[in-house]
This record gives sequence, C-alpha cells and structure tokens, in this order.
Amino acid sequence: PCLLHSLRLEICSFSGYKIYPSRGRTFIRGDGRTFHFLSSKTESLFHQRKNPRKFDWTVVFRKMHRKGISEEVAKKRTRRAVKYNRSIVGASWDAINARRNEKTEVRSAARAEAVAKAKEARKEEAAKRKAARANQPAGGQKFSKQQARGAQVKVQANSR
Amino acid sequence: MKSRLNVIDNSGAIVAECIKVLKNAKWASVGDEIVVSVKKARPISDKTLASQSAAKIRKGDVRRAVIVRTKKEIRRPDGRYVRFDDNACVLLNNQQQPLGSRILGLVSAELRFKNWVKVVSLAPRVV
Repeated sequence: PCLLHSLRLEICSFSGYKIYPSRGRTFIRGDGRTFHFLSSKTESLFHQRKNPRKFDWTVVFRKMHRKGISEEVAKKRTRRAVKYNRSIVGASWDAINARRNEKTEVRSAARAEAVAKAKEARKEEAAKRKAARANQPAGGQKFSKQQARGAQVKVQANSR
Repeated sequence: MKSRLNVIDNSGAIVAECIKVLKNAKWASVGDEIVVSVKKARPISDKTLASQSAAKIRKGDVRRAVIVRTKKEIRRPDGRYVRFDDNACVLLNNQQQPLGSRILGLVSAELRFKNWVKVVSLAPRVV
C-alpha cells in the first residue's frame, strides 16, 4: 500500500511557490490544518508568525502590489446590451413599429383630423342639449333640493 | 531521554512518559508500540470504578501504547516529510487493542500501514 498522493504539486503555504515531490516539508497543526513549506526558510518564517504579505519575494506580496501583471491584463470586454423587439398585450410589434415610424406630417394630419372630429361632435352635443332644453315646459322654476324634499314632518308620539 | 506524550484517547490518562521502545531500535516513531508510565491522569469517575471491564488508569500505571503523532518528521513514500505539532499516543491493553473507546484529534496515516486498524477506525481524522 502506498501513501502516494498522486505526486501532486503542492503550493508553499508561505511563499506560494510550487513544491515538487520530495522537496520541502509538511506541517500538520493541532487543529488539523496542513501547511506545506518549500524550504526551511519559509517554514521558519511561518513559525515566527510572519506575514507573507510583507515579504516582497512571495506570491501574495506580488499579487497584492500587482507586480508583473501588466503583460497579462487582457482588454476588458464591454458587454453590449441586446435590443429586443418586444410586443405588448394590446399592441403587436407591427403596430408599435408602425406607430414609431410614423412621419410627423402624417401624425399631425391625423391629430388635426381627430381635433376636427371632436369639435364636430361637441357642436352636435351642444345643439342637442339646446333642443332638449327648449322642449321643457315654460316656467320651470328652479327648486332647491330641500324645497323639493318638503318640510320635515314631525313624528307624533302615540305611546308613552 | 524519556519523552512525554499526550494521551489522546478517553482512557483517563493525560500525559504518558515513554519508558521503553518495543522494537530493536533506539527510538520509536508513529505506529510503534512503546511502554509508558502514566504521569498525569484524570480522576476516575464513579462509573468507571463501578464497572468491571473498564480500565482504571491511575498516575504511575505502566501500560503499553502506540505512537500516533510525532513532532519529529516522518518520511512518506512520495518523498514528502510530514510532522505534527506534538507527540501523542493511544494506550493499549496486552492484546494490542486500544484501552479507550474514543480517540480525540488527528492521527497519522502511518498507522494504517503498520496495521493499527482499530486505532485508525476510532480516530476522527487520519491525516
């Protein structure tokens, strides 16, 4: 039986370097966390509880200070919003499109027409109302609502 | 030099001191049986006192144990060296079975290859 961990490449827990097989040491802490060290240098620094971010040869430091990254920065790809032609309930896409692409002259002509029609309709209404008023009996007095209702009749008590 | 080891099972002992290495060598490592003298033990509970089968471990007892963790690095077949944070052992009876019923903490994977099956199965984590 072998304890071969499939000869995988470990990464040094302190410096971030790759650890090839049979190099370096592994430390298993009391809580079970495993740390791999490339050399006694990294191991010693780890046990002194040094912060790898302060050592400028470590990968963590370089990443933090963005060293050596400029060559690898790819052009940022801009996301373009895709426009969809969507129809709404009550108006199909064609209808919407037609409306949108209406020429101004057409629109104003349509509007003028509508206005004229409305005016006509209103004139008719006015004429009709006048006619209706003329047909009412003469001397139609204006009554207020209270007068129309009549005086309040006092309810006579018939029991005691 | 008599090394002190932490006892990581629930037998009652806390610290044991190695007094003999049971192999023809100067030192023992993970998976080796040793004879220990219990240096620190937990007070025996009433339940243990009452029971017939439970082992009563007292300070000064001489018992056998198997080493499960060492601070000295051990070489693995893939060339890697592994070391733990402390030295630890598990107490055994004369039939090489663990005295305690539970093991607390890690044990080294070396035990599997030295045929300490029972210990490995009790351990919550084998690294």
